[in-house]
Amino acid sequence: MERGYWIRSKPVYTSLVWHDKATSHLLVAQGDGGMAVLKIFQLMHPKQPITVLYACNLNSKDYAKTLKKVVPEGLQILNSEEDVLLTLNNILPNMSMGMRLYVAGSEGFIWAASECAKKFGIEDTDIMKELTGTLARSVYCVHCKATTHDITTNIGKCCGCERMLFVRDHFSRRLGAYMGLMVDAESPGILPEIEEIYP
Amino acid sequence: MTLVFKQETFRDDYRYSNSPSGIKRFPFPFAEDQYMYSVNIEPHGKGKQGSVNEFAFDVDEHYVAECIDKGITLEQDPGRYESLPHMMDAQWDFLELTMESHAQDYPDHFTLKKNGLNWNWENKPLGIKDSFVFGDCSTLPMDPFEYMGRQVQGDFVLLDQRDETLYADAGFITSQADWSLAFNIGMSWKEWHGPVPRVTELGVMDRALKYLMNLQLGSPVRRLNWTMTINPRLDTSPENYPFWGGDRNKVNKENVSDLVHLRVELQALFRLPRSNGIVFVIRCYLINLKEIATYPRWSKRLHRVLKGLHPDLIEYKGLTKFHPLAVDWLSKFDDGATIELGTQPE
Repeated sequence: MERGYWIRSKPVYTSLVWHDKATSHLLVAQGDGGMAVLKIFQLMHPKQPITVLYACNLNSKDYAKTLKKVVPEGLQILNSEEDVLLTLNNILPNMSMGMRLYVAGSEGFIWAASECAKKFGIEDTDIMKELTGTLARSVYCVHCKATTHDITTNIGKCCGCERMLFVRDHFSRRLGAYMGLMVDAESPGILPEIEEIYP
Repeated sequence: MTLVFKQETFRDDYRYSNSPSGIKRFPFPFAEDQYMYSVNIEPHGKGKQGSVNEFAFDVDEHYVAECIDKGITLEQDPGRYESLPHMMDAQWDFLELTMESHAQDYPDHFTLKKNGLNWNWENKPLGIKDSFVFGDCSTLPMDPFEYMGRQVQGDFVLLDQRDETLYADAGFITSQADWSLAFNIGMSWKEWHGPVPRVTELGVMDRALKYLMNLQLGSPVRRLNWTMTINPRLDTSPENYPFWGGDRNKVNKENVSDLVHLRVELQALFRLPRSNGIVFVIRCYLINLKEIATYPRWSKRLHRVLKGLHPDLIEYKGLTKFHPLAVDWLSKFDDGATIELGTQPE
């Protein structure tokens, strides 16, 4: 990759930081996102009401025990990423203006949570996001429109049409996925070396 | 003016060509011997009689064939038309703009009669005649944007202006130069243009955005963009890349002037009155090297532009495989003499 080259649609993730003007805080985290939640509580224990939703996953350490000690109120430990998203969906209608949303976890999780928040009028620019644990990508196949999750290599097989897709650095926030384009359309069967670049 | 519409195809057997007058009016984009991106935006005012800029929407000899091709593409992939729910005002704006322009500029082919909100539209070349209530979707066979998108040459993106940027929130895209509506819909200006190389350094996109945010009603603007396509294929979408990508391997010394087409996009932008959105029109014109060589001025110019093209642009525009063949074929027309500034054929 040429130095200085940067595709503008690729999201930039930062560390979670409290919005001190918020009227309440809602933190959702998955897997290693638990560490991001612990980190933000190192900064401050805010005065405003707090809700934290967390589920560990198979590849990560389980931060539930530590979170229980650190988070002063409103902590819900859930069984899976899906349960976190479902709970988020259930509690958002009860939130009011001034609530700030913080998301930490894999990229797939971050954008699934954003999609959920969008239904309630929360724009993704208003959501604080921290990427943790893995760089694995969700890839949208432009040919068959299926999304394949957890791709860690430059080229991955589409779960829908089984074409080998080149993972382009072009990201759609609406789909929560990178663009996948058939890599050997011009020379069938001839693939570049497949390397793990999103471990 | 009565146009004669050619029977043509933009896929499979590729029965397509430009008539001598079609070649002469082709929007050749190179005024100079070098090319680099710039904010080459100008007012989309009334151009010379017979030129592609004579009217707001140019209807040419390929009109009927192009509309038929749109229908085929949409039937195979309905995702080429998409509109987010908040875009309905902009959809009606689009219908009004295109119907009024076509009826006014090509009265032999299109008529629009209004009686309050009761409108009658007739499109003679396509054999369409409908009565509907303006603003009432239930009186049209489909969304207003899709309805007219199928009857106007080109691709269309409806841009919503908010948060100090433009969002691509609806599109009718059947002749795109390798970008995906299904993937890009809902993106902001910067995200959407993310993959275009070199433009960040040049500041082109920031300046263009600033300019367009101030676009006024009744003062549309335009620019030309270009790439090259193998075969006169309108649907060079990433969706169907597996079906056309391989054509790039078929170019050789013998067929290069028939297969390699200059693909010029006449891009026009109009502010819309109700939605305060913008319609971005991307009209595609195709001409092969042989037809370009009708005019030595153009073949010489194209030879120099291609020869000196920045390697990043050769790659981005997908020319890598046939670029040397095209330069080589065009070189025989280039005597090295100076060509004055301008895009005219003679």
